[in-house]
Formats: sequence, structure tokens, C-alpha cells
Amino acid sequence: MFQYFPIPEVWKTLLASLVGVVTLVGIMTRPFRWNEAVIAMAGAAVLLLLGLISPADAFLTLIRDWNTFLFFLGIMGLSALAEAAGLFDWLAVQAARFAGKSAARLFLNVFLLGSLISMVLSNDATALILTPIVYVLVTKLRLPVLPYLFACTFIADTASFLLPVSNPINIIILSRFPLDLLTFLRLLFLPSLVVIGINIAIFFLLYRKQLKGVFDIQRLPSAKQAVKHKAFFRYTCCVLAVIAFAYVIASAIQLPLSLVALSGAVLLLIGALFWRRTSLRQTASRISWSIFGFIAGMFIVVRAIEDTGLTTIFGNWLIQLSGGTSFGAVMVGTAGAALGTNLINNVPMAVVMISALAGIQHAPPVIQHGFIAATMFGCDLGPNLTTVGSLATVLWLLILRQRNVDVSGLDYFKVGVVVTPLMLLAGALTIWLLL
Amino acid sequence: MRVLCCLDGTNVQQVSKATEMLLAPQSLTLGILYVIDTGPRRDIEHTRERFLRPPGPPGPREHEMQQAEHAAAEDILNEALRQLRNAETFQRQGRPEREIVNVAAEWQADLVIICSRAEYGGKNAIGPSSVGHVARFVLDHAPCPVLMVRPLTREQFPIAR
Repeated sequence: MFQYFPIPEVWKTLLASLVGVVTLVGIMTRPFRWNEAVIAMAGAAVLLLLGLISPADAFLTLIRDWNTFLFFLGIMGLSALAEAAGLFDWLAVQAARFAGKSAARLFLNVFLLGSLISMVLSNDATALILTPIVYVLVTKLRLPVLPYLFACTFIADTASFLLPVSNPINIIILSRFPLDLLTFLRLLFLPSLVVIGINIAIFFLLYRKQLKGVFDIQRLPSAKQAVKHKAFFRYTCCVLAVIAFAYVIASAIQLPLSLVALSGAVLLLIGALFWRRTSLRQTASRISWSIFGFIAGMFIVVRAIEDTGLTTIFGNWLIQLSGGTSFGAVMVGTAGAALGTNLINNVPMAVVMISALAGIQHAPPVIQHGFIAATMFGCDLGPNLTTVGSLATVLWLLILRQRNVDVSGLDYFKVGVVVTPLMLLAGALTIWLLL
Repeated sequence: MRVLCCLDGTNVQQVSKATEMLLAPQSLTLGILYVIDTGPRRDIEHTRERFLRPPGPPGPREHEMQQAEHAAAEDILNEALRQLRNAETFQRQGRPEREIVNVAAEWQADLVIICSRAEYGGKNAIGPSSVGHVARFVLDHAPCPVLMVRPLTREQFPIAR
């Protein structure tokens, strides 16, 4: 619109910033329970209609991030098809068998299984697929549900920076600031192990009384029940093993990881169609298509804000705050990303951070690496603080509780507020030592 | 006298013993209640929303979760029925503490028997956190007298005077 009715640049800046802020606040508060994708896309549409970003620029922004979109598609497809094969159910039953009737050992196995699934199939698979399976398992075994449920939700994020593919957020950040596999592992693998260890130790301490019992092995479903079709199950295991290996090779030679994830999903889909374990429509219904709208909307909104120079100012402020030291870069990056993810969800925060950190390309490599690793670390682990999504949700739950409405999200928050700051601090210090 | 016994999956023996200790137990009208706690399900919904997904898990998984919940509830009630014969059974779904007081009122219970907290094999320590939030809520909100059953912990005495 303003292409036809020119207005001063300063007004354009103010308008773009206003639309950006309103969009972010909308995502934080979700008025009328609107879907985040609708809010993000509405923000992008307003910017396009007002001419505050050109359609060509918006298109180029989305095309540039094709790796992120395809990775989300691939990883969701892989998880959905692996679930159709009964892989997660089978793994959960095996975890219980290896526990040898002990509730505490099963608790540890849930952590280990969650770490493994997050590492290879991303945190989405652990939080969204493994959690309900573990719920069913512990309900059948008549064990206390909450500790196991919290273990799944927390480990999904805690183990989400073992590999670049362990969290789609890593792909968003690495698409803009590529790190070779060895550098990624050098900076984030050990901190991962440290925070996983802390998470397990604190959870054992918190739930020690509820984990002292044993369970009746007779109540355990058989592994055969979990596997719906033997041949497809074996095929799925083979494909996933190849994919895990391919991820490592692709990361090492800096090949887009989305291609690996998508190829794996296509291979699994072919197998599933061949053995008639699913249909195209069923598989499509398991993919959350609104995520693509949400990410696309956020990319466009942040691109428009980028043009106003606001994200550069934010980035410069972060660099200044770090004092130009590697310690400062890691601490500021971690704290900024972790707080931001709890305000506006981790996907928008990662997009904002990569835009803000554009200015670090002139900084020494140690500072650059400090900021990049800390941003991934903060955006991946930060959500464990509130877990229910954002501080806005926590505030809403607090209001509900004051009105004597029983809410469960606060139980998560109570645990998150104890565990997460410790993990953030320990992990950030480890990253700094490894720089 | 109508006595409502609250089960948590770990306390059939304790509740059964408590009814035996009452005077003239044969004249009691017993009700046994098990509540499927919906709190964890809401936690799963919150998590799904954080990952930008619709709150409920996909249809088959949802069905499986419901089946597991109901099978466990039936199992617990049947186990209790073996000890407390002829008792009337109640199975509810919701927040346990609220369902217990509501069922007690609806059924016109004269007494509610409840354990201080679910015991999963740990040491039954005495102290301020030995009464769980469900038992506390029931003590505060029950429409009738409440008999709270605590585990025997004589070995932890004497306590500091």
C-alpha cells in the first residue's frame, strides 16, 4: 500500500515494528485460543498488504530457508511412520523388561530411551509420541504416572542438542550459521551429557519416594503386541539405522540434513504403503501442517523487522553486553535465548536470534561460536523452565489457580523452575570451557 | 452406616483393615471409589500445545490411553472387591480430591476412609509432608467425618520432645 502512497521511512519503521511486536505478543498470549500459525501468518499478511515487505523479498526469505521447512516435513514423517510400525511401543516395552521389575530402573530407562529418540528423531518424537506410550505403560504397571511423564517431557528438550538433528531449532540456527559436525559435537555434546546427568540426578532426588517400589512383570504387554507387522517393523529399524548413519555423514560433509530426513520418510512411506500399514491420507493427517504456516509467518515478520534495523540493534546490544569475551558471549547468548523461548516459544526466538546475531560475523571465531552454541543451547533447553509453553501460559495458570480452578501445568512449572536454571548454568559453563 | 472407601491403587489392604477395625463391621454399607486422575492427561495436552500441535493425541493413541486407564481402574476395584465383598463400586474420572468429596456427598456417606498418601514401597516417614494433597483436600472439604488411615510407623518413635 505504501508503495503507492509513499510515507516517511521513520513511519515505515514504526509500523513494521508495531506489527512485529503485536504478532509476537499475540503468539505469547494467544487471544481467544487462536492458533499460533494464524497469528504469525496474519502478521506477515499485514506487512505484505502495507507494503512493508515486498512479495519478492518475502518469497526469497522463505526459499532461502527451504532446509528448515523440508527438515520439519521429513522429521514429522519419519516419526509418524516409525510410530505406525510400532517401534516406539516396542522400545518402551523393552525398556520395562530391562528394568527387571524395578520402578527406579524403569525411570532411568525412560530417560535413556528418551535421549536416544531425541538424538535421532528429534525432541518432537519424544515429547509427542513417547510420552503417551509411557503413560499407557506405567498406567498398566500401576506405577505413579507423573514422574515418568515429566521424565519424558524434560528429556525431550534436555537431550535435544546431542546432534544437529535432535531439535529442528538447531537446523534453523545452523542454516544461517553453519557449524561443521566436529565443532558442533565439540561444543555441545559434552554439555548435553552434563545436563542430561543433572536432569536425571535431580529427578531421582525429587521422586525418590515414588520410585522405591517394584512392578508386576505380568502386567507388562508383550513385545509381540507392540509390533503390528513384523516385516515392516524390521524394515523400519533398518531404514532408521541407515538414516542415523546418514545424518552423521551428511553433518560431517555439510549436506542439508533435510534431504536425509525426507529421504528416510519417503523410504518408510514406500514400505508402509507396500505392506499396507498406512495410507497417504493417514500419513498426511499425522503431519502438523500449521507448523509450516507458523514458521513461514515468523520468517517474514522477522525479515521485515530486520529491515528496520531493530534486530541489528538488539544484536549489537547482546554483543556489547557480552563485553567481547567468550564467557560473556556464552552467558548472554544462553540467558537471552532461554528467557526469549519462555516468552514467545522457541521457534520465533530462534528466528529472532539468528537475525540479531547477523552482526557477529565480524567478531572473532571464539565469540561467534560462543553465541551460536549458546543460542542453540538456550533455545533447546529453555522451554523446560515453563514447559507449558511460555511465561504467559504460566501466568494464566496462576490466575486460574487463584480462582480455585485446578490446573496441572503449574506442577510442571514447579519442577522446571528447580531443574532448568541449574542445567542452564552448568551447560553454559561447560560450553565456555570447551570454546 | 455408609462408609466410602477411597482407593489409590496401593491401599486395598490398609482400607480393608480399617473397615475391620470399626465396630460392627458387618452392619456397614460399603462403597469403594477409584478416580482416574485426569491431571496427567492435561499435562500431555499442555506439552502438545507447546509443540504447536492440537491438544489431544491422535485417535488410536487416545483410545489406547483410555483403555489402559479403565482397565487399571477395574483391576483396582476388583482387587478391592475380593477383600470388601458386597461393596458398591464407583469409578470416576477427574481430579481425585474433588471427585471423592462429591461422591461422598451424592452417596450420602456417613464416613470417608482415605489413606494419607499413595505408598509405592518407600519408607513411611512421619512428618509434615506425610499427608498428600488429596487427603488434605478431603479433610478440608468432606461433607462427613473422615477416617484417615496412616501406615504403622512405631519404629520411628519416640520423636524429639
